[in-house]
This record gives sequence, C-alpha cells and structure tokens, in this order.
Amino acid sequence: MTLSIIGRRFLQFVPVVLGVTFITFLLLNLLPGDTAEAILGTNANPVSIALLRKQLGLNQPLLVRYWHWLEHALTGNLGSSLITQQQVGTVLSQRVPVTLELLILAFLIALVLAIPVAVLAARKPKGIIDRLGATTAMFGLAIPNFVLGLVLILLFAQHFHFFPATGYSALGSGLGPNLRSLFLPALTISFALFAAYSRMLRADMMQQLAQEEYVITARAKGVSEPRILIRHVFRNSLFSLITIVGVNFGTLIGATVIVESIFALPGIGSLLVSSVYNRDVTVTQGVVVILAVVTVTVNLITDLLYLVLDPRVRYGTV
Amino acid sequence: MALSRYPTVLPPMLAERVSNFRQTAQWRRSLDIWVPAGILILLVLACFFGPFIFGLPGPNAGSLLDARLPLFSAGHIFGTDAIGNDLLSRALYGGQISIEVGLGSMLIGFVVGGSLGVIGGYRGGILDIVIMRLLDMFLAFPSIILAFVVATFLGANEINVIFAISFFTVPAFARLARATTLQLRERGFVIATRLLGARERDVLIRHVVPNVIPSLMTYGLLTVAIAMFIEAALSFLGLGIPAPQPSWGSTIASGQQYLSNAPAIVLVPSVFLFTAVASLNSLGNALRTRIESQ
Repeated sequence: MTLSIIGRRFLQFVPVVLGVTFITFLLLNLLPGDTAEAILGTNANPVSIALLRKQLGLNQPLLVRYWHWLEHALTGNLGSSLITQQQVGTVLSQRVPVTLELLILAFLIALVLAIPVAVLAARKPKGIIDRLGATTAMFGLAIPNFVLGLVLILLFAQHFHFFPATGYSALGSGLGPNLRSLFLPALTISFALFAAYSRMLRADMMQQLAQEEYVITARAKGVSEPRILIRHVFRNSLFSLITIVGVNFGTLIGATVIVESIFALPGIGSLLVSSVYNRDVTVTQGVVVILAVVTVTVNLITDLLYLVLDPRVRYGTV
Repeated sequence: MALSRYPTVLPPMLAERVSNFRQTAQWRRSLDIWVPAGILILLVLACFFGPFIFGLPGPNAGSLLDARLPLFSAGHIFGTDAIGNDLLSRALYGGQISIEVGLGSMLIGFVVGGSLGVIGGYRGGILDIVIMRLLDMFLAFPSIILAFVVATFLGANEINVIFAISFFTVPAFARLARATTLQLRERGFVIATRLLGARERDVLIRHVVPNVIPSLMTYGLLTVAIAMFIEAALSFLGLGIPAPQPSWGSTIASGQQYLSNAPAIVLVPSVFLFTAVASLNSLGNALRTRIESQ
C-alpha cells in the first residue's frame, strides 16, 4: 500500500522535473538576446559571431540542443560557464552550501518564534499576545524583504555595530563569525515566514479546539488545558504547518535572490543575478534547474511526510 | 431577527438610542472593509491626480544643488533623492507604475488563467490534465525568479514587466478557478440546468462563470499586492522599470548607499509600498471572510 503511493508520487515527479528543465531551456533559448553576441559584444565581426555560435552548438535545432544538454545533465555535467569557463557543477557546489545554511537558519528562527506565539495566541484569543502577533504578522506580510534588509543593516550594523553589514565568512573560519555574517540575512527572510506560520498555526489550532471531538474527550477526562493544547492540538496542527512550509518554499527561494544581493552573500541567489546580467545562459540554466528541482522535491517530501505522520493516509482510508 | 430582542414599543428617546447603537455597530463591523478601501482610493487618487493638484515638480526635474534634502525641507516636503529629485513626486509617479503593473498582471491572470481554469475544470479529461500539468510547471518556479528571467531576456520596460509577472498570475488564477468550478459542477442548480437541456456554452457563461468570479475577485486583490511586490523587487535589482522613469523599487535601490545619512530616500517609497500592500492584503482578507461566512 505505502509503496504504491510512494511509487505513484514518484511517477508524477519525473515528468514535472523533465518539464521544468524543458521550460527553462525553452525560455532561455527562445527569448531574445544572443549568447554569442553577448560574449563578443554587439559590434563584433559577424563571421566570428557565427563561428562562436557553431562552437557553442547554438546553430543546432532547439530540441537537439535540449537532448544534448539533458544527456550531459543526467551524468552530472551541467556544462561550463560561457564567461569564466568554470564547470557549472563546481560553481554550484561552492554556492549551494551558503544558500542552504541561510535557508536553514531563517527557517529555524521563524519556527522558534512562530510556534510559541501561535500556541499562546490560541490559548487566549484576542489577548495581548494574539493582538501583538497579528500586528507583527501584518507588518511581516507587507514589508518587502529588501526594505527590511536595509532597515536591519541601518539599525544593527551601522548604528549599533552588532553584526557585519554585508559579506560572508565561511564556516571554516569559525562558527561565531559565520553565524554573525548570516544572522541579519536570515532574520530578514524569516520575518515573512514567521508571519505566515504563526497566523496559520493559530487559525488551525483554534479551529481544532472548537470543532474536534478528541478535544471534548480530552477535556471530559480531565486533561489540563495547556496539555490539550500542546500534546493534542499542536501535534495535529503540525500537518497544516508542514503544508504551508512546503507551499512557501518557492517564496523562500525567491527571497534568497534579493537577500543575497543586499548582503553580498556568495550563494546561488546572487549567482543567478550575476549570470542573468552577464547572459551566462549555462549558469542561469543550471541555477534555475536546481531551484526548480529542489522546489518540486520539497513538495514531494511534504506529501511523503503525511504518510509518515498520519496512519489514515498510509492505509488509504482518507 | 435581532429586532425581536427589543420590545416593539419603546419610548421615543430609547428607541432612537437603540437604533443609533445598532447603526453604529453595523458601521463598526464593516470598518475592516472601509478603512483599507478608503486608503487605497486615496492612494490611487493621489498617485494619478496628486502631482497636478499639489503642483509638484516633475519626478526628474531636480537639481544636484538640492541633493539628499531631509524630510520636511522647504519646497520638498518628503526631501529629495541622491540627484535632487523631489521624493514625493517620485513616489507618486512611481505609484502610477506600481498600480498599473499590479492591475495589469492581475487582469491578465484573471482573464487568461480564469478562463483556462474554468474550461479545464468544467470539461475535465485530457484537456484538463494537459492544462494543469503545464501550469503546474510554471508554479514550480519561484515567482520572482521566473519574472526575473523573463524580464531580463525580454528587455526591461513596463509592458514586459507586466508580461513577466503574468507567468505567475496566470497559473495561480487557473488553479483557483479550476477548484471552484469543480465544486460548482456538482451543485444542484448546474446539474438541473444541464438536465433541462441547456447548451454547454450557456451553462458555462450563465451559471458557472458568474459564481466563480467573486472568489477570483478577492484573490485578485491579493494578487495585485504580490505583483506590486515583484515589480518593486525587479526594479530594486535594476531589472524592472528602466532608469529615468521613477519606480518605488528603483528609488529604494538608489537610496541603498545613502542609508545612514539620507534615510528618506529609502523610507519614503518604502512607506508607500507598505501602505499599498498592507491595505490590499487586509481588504482581500476582510472580503474573503465575508464571502466564506455567507
């Protein structure tokens, strides 16, 4: 039973990933802007442009080029940068860990703040914590991350000098400086996440408290309110939390593009920006494919987590 | 009804007070709609007519002699940017672009995505599968990254930015329209109309579409907010509205390096963007709870 569900999900996963890579390829190759021209400059000799196009394989039909790219990509070869000649795979392997660390940190900050706020707000609706949480969430959802990033730099880096304004220090040079350089960018990303998570979790817990029969049972047998809230309701609300984490993952990745640019972090977000500026199509393609594949994978993992957490899904009764 | 809770015959003064109280309560209950709606109307009027009414200088009419004036300077109430342009004027003209981009990409999503979703959901079958799988692939891309790639390769101008953001709004609207249509298809009145022998086209246009539109409209408000966010982000990265034209995002970006000595350059457009997005979000949420509770 379980295996067949996993199998079915996986069968849906493969065409979506293939489709995503194809659309990326199509998008980058059909849109105006010639790579050979971008490398040599607009007033280069037409003969040398034609020669370079041939060298890069740009004169072949689109489908053939996609097929070649896919063949290589499946063996782990994403091509080399048109500008620096570096292997795209190598560049990505240097950049991905930075972004990953940033995302994990942002995610942790958001969850650590959102869960207690949501639980306390659900315990006392319209209480002080609920109202504060609602106001903060409204701000979190309406302040663009680049504004928030700039405000945080102004406050904590330029005014109080708690954190460095920009730049990244690798984990190799010590955990302290590493975390300090990532704290402000992670905080910037986590604010909107906090807003979304805390509101959603609160709403879901309130709904469970009001409607679910197991809450009545627990109250009837004399379980204390805080215990009902944490041991019973919160555990059930984890489902909605997992869903929204999965759904929000795309936004999270989008945020890294902006935040890495502001804080000058060498992650894949800033790599994407610079490769798009330089028309370095192979790098752009590598980054977009990685991001799309990761997003689709996260959605798959979200679906599979339901299986782990909810026996009803596992046995197909829901 | 609520009326029956009060005795039908009341002394005139008390009756007046009761009705006053009820009117006030009614009025206060709809505050969550009127406050954000009022702010939005004011904002739109200010952006499109404000520059003429207040006689503001043009968004690029500044002189370097007035560069980086603080808030509340004489002649420039919100100060000036790095090259002396009036910040209020830039915020209002930038607001025009922000509103146009927001509405434009929302409308494309509404019409194109809405139609695709309704048709796919109503017809079902292979057509539905093909449409939805295709759109799912676009949703697999983070919206800002998709807009970012499309806007760069098309060339940055207002129309292309609208087009780029539509790559996100079309699939999003299509999903919602499809989900709503699937529910409607099973409703009694739709089945009854079909059993009466109405043409499929008439069922769709007369019965399904009018009932899909309300939920799409409230979602539309949230979409305008998201589109404004993406526009500002694109302009902030230098990939949105090209340079001399003012945009909230590009003004914020231009103030980035003067953050500590001239914070107004970042602050003024940020406050405008925040006000617009916060009002759209609250109005959208208020309307959604109304519709859901009905």
